[in-house]
Amino acid sequence: MTEKLAILWPEIFLFIATCLVMITGQWPSRAIRAFTPWICAVALFAAFGAAMSSPGSGSAHGGMFPEIVPYAKMLIAAVGMLILLLLSGTVDRELEAEVDAGKPFSSIRSNRGEFYAFFMFSLTGLMLTASADDLIWLFLALELTSLPTYIMVAISTERKKSLEAAVKYFFLGALGAAIFLYGFALIYGATGSTNLSEIATVFATQTANGGISSLGMIGLLIAIIGIAFKIAAVPMHFYTPDVYQGAASPVAAMLAFVPKTAGFLALMFILGTVGWNDGTAGGGHLPVAIEATLWIMAALTMTVGNILALLQTSVKRILAYSSIAHSGYMLVGLIAGPGIIGGPFYQNGLAAVLFYLLTYGIMTVGVFAVLASLEHRNGDEADDMDDIRGLCKSHPVLGWTLVICTLSMLGFPPLLGFLGKVGLFTSGIAAGQYALIVILGINSAIAACYYLRLVAAAYIDDKGKVSSPVYASPFATRKIAGVVSAFFVLFLLVFAQPMINGAYNASKYVPAVAGEVEHNDHTDRHTQSSPAKADEDVALTHKALID
Amino acid sequence: MMHAFETLQLAQLAFPAEMNNSVLAPYLFVSAAMFCIGLIGFMTRKNMIIMFLCTELMFQAAGLSLIAFGRHHLGSDGQTFVIFVLTVAAAEAAMALALVVLLFRHRESLSASAWKELNG
Amino acid sequence: MYTLAEANEISAYLPVLLMIIGAAGFAGANLLFSFILGPRRAGERKGETYESGMDAVGTARKRFNIRFYLIAMVFLVFDVEIIFLYPWAQTFTSLDPMSDSSQIWLLRILFFLFTTLVAYIYGYRKGVFKFD
Repeated sequence: MTEKLAILWPEIFLFIATCLVMITGQWPSRAIRAFTPWICAVALFAAFGAAMSSPGSGSAHGGMFPEIVPYAKMLIAAVGMLILLLLSGTVDRELEAEVDAGKPFSSIRSNRGEFYAFFMFSLTGLMLTASADDLIWLFLALELTSLPTYIMVAISTERKKSLEAAVKYFFLGALGAAIFLYGFALIYGATGSTNLSEIATVFATQTANGGISSLGMIGLLIAIIGIAFKIAAVPMHFYTPDVYQGAASPVAAMLAFVPKTAGFLALMFILGTVGWNDGTAGGGHLPVAIEATLWIMAALTMTVGNILALLQTSVKRILAYSSIAHSGYMLVGLIAGPGIIGGPFYQNGLAAVLFYLLTYGIMTVGVFAVLASLEHRNGDEADDMDDIRGLCKSHPVLGWTLVICTLSMLGFPPLLGFLGKVGLFTSGIAAGQYALIVILGINSAIAACYYLRLVAAAYIDDKGKVSSPVYASPFATRKIAGVVSAFFVLFLLVFAQPMINGAYNASKYVPAVAGEVEHNDHTDRHTQSSPAKADEDVALTHKALID
Repeated sequence: MMHAFETLQLAQLAFPAEMNNSVLAPYLFVSAAMFCIGLIGFMTRKNMIIMFLCTELMFQAAGLSLIAFGRHHLGSDGQTFVIFVLTVAAAEAAMALALVVLLFRHRESLSASAWKELNG
Repeated sequence: MYTLAEANEISAYLPVLLMIIGAAGFAGANLLFSFILGPRRAGERKGETYESGMDAVGTARKRFNIRFYLIAMVFLVFDVEIIFLYPWAQTFTSLDPMSDSSQIWLLRILFFLFTTLVAYIYGYRKGVFKFD
């Protein structure tokens, strides 16, 4: 119990900040309103510190991924800070301008409090996903991550299209949630437990006795397809371009990172219950049905994302499709699995995924920061390819940020994205997924076409006659977010070792051992009261409180 | 602490037998049918409210399975899960209400095909 | 270890397949039958809002005050909190009132109610409770 509390401090800091900003964001005093983002920043720093000194989840986590918590939460807090820089000035621009002009402040029209509170809620949910050890917890954490983002999309601009995007996102999100919830229900039915490590034990026992029960297998597949919504993988990817285009750029950057991270963490935990060991000694494979599903999903996600990205003229839609493609790349790491226990980084697919989430978060914030820093005279955001033409000349800092981050997304050798991608490649090869690696290679080549189009537009093309030119938006912090991201992308490669070590430690996976579940419901409930069960119930109550 | 779990046991002693598969199956069938009706309804209907009701139907289908499985395994996990599912469903309902009202003000229509600004 | 199906043979998936076919067929058949069998009559009486009921008065497009939605949503939030109090109360009464654990349980529920308080303050500042 105390162990569980010990790993929850980052969430507690974020939650306290959420409660505060919800109220300060709509305070009549202007100074207090302006202070709201700072509260978020302080909380994120505190959460980062708490995550750094946090113990690995250890036994509180049920032992499947004993070291994941500190790395995942530091990653979330760090990218969260970048996104926070980017979010400034997204809401309430007109309202604040009116207040400056002397009109009275109206709290019902203000969205600032909700906006930051929902941002913090979403990050809290993301961190809770990282510490999840139970299906109920996982479900609640995933919902806490995604529910606030629907509203954030809706209020991110004053324009109708953001509302339309929010509705699409919400309806498909609810559908995805219902699907993985049904999967969770079947998993519970097949194993009789909601605790992930107990589920893993039951599955290991079933594997040893001839195979996972069909009910459990169906449940896992349904859960995977439902979670595919969160990572925008192929059967559930339709919403992505519309939502990214409809939402304001800062919120789109958040959507590219937050649900994806939640989805991949959840997938790791769900796949961890069956393990990457196909019952055969030393085999590094998921059970056949799951591997086939993920394989098809990965191949289709990469290909669909990259090919459709070629056809777009809107930069945000290109980035949306590239985000779909990146999910496909990361699925390769999930299929590869942790490799041999204690094997090196380059054979460990989970470490590659965890590291790639970090690199992807930084790169994508960089690119969206450039878009968010440009606007038309009428307040419309920069979105079209024409808007970024000749950016290296007209706005050199933004232009070069765009070039660097885009090249990194492409996986250009000296940049951060390259290092992330190499991990995925080598782990895939180590796991023997040669066909998938070939598809990954071909897709990287296709992706080069549209990424280079972006680079060429910014670097080579001259700004000819443009009907509505773009200007730098008045929010300096967005530019700072872009520059910081570009700086990381350029120079983090030099200092990448600690991060790689972090990702490698975090990916430590302890497969379940076949055997009786110790505190199983129907074996010992009748005969003796079970103190371990008591702890579990206490934990559930605690969860309710946090949420 | 012990008292609580003795009470819990007592509650279970009231129905100590495991539910066998022939009793479980109808629950699962109804739940699967609800889920499929919801899924098919979501894909074929155009009205936003109906689409939302369909997702709710799918949530409740999962809830029904959870309760049936909880009884089958004689554990309280399933019921606990359902309480949280209900909460999330309520949160989503509030959100859907807000979004649909906002949209209706903009378009005076609740048909999904009325919103086509974002396409490409 | 008791599970629903132990074998990993393809035949073990047959019940599940049947279940899926049955469930999807049930849903599909309902759509199909209502399409085939459902009467389609058009007419003045049929088009009324309440067929063979009271005549509808006025327009359905009447705008309600935004307060109704706000109140409905606030009610929903506070209403749902109650279902967490009920299992807590069930368990709490059976705890030894002098023990540490009962105090911890009390603190937990107080923290939970504190979050309700935050929601209340938020709603108050937002002006949800101003009825004028």
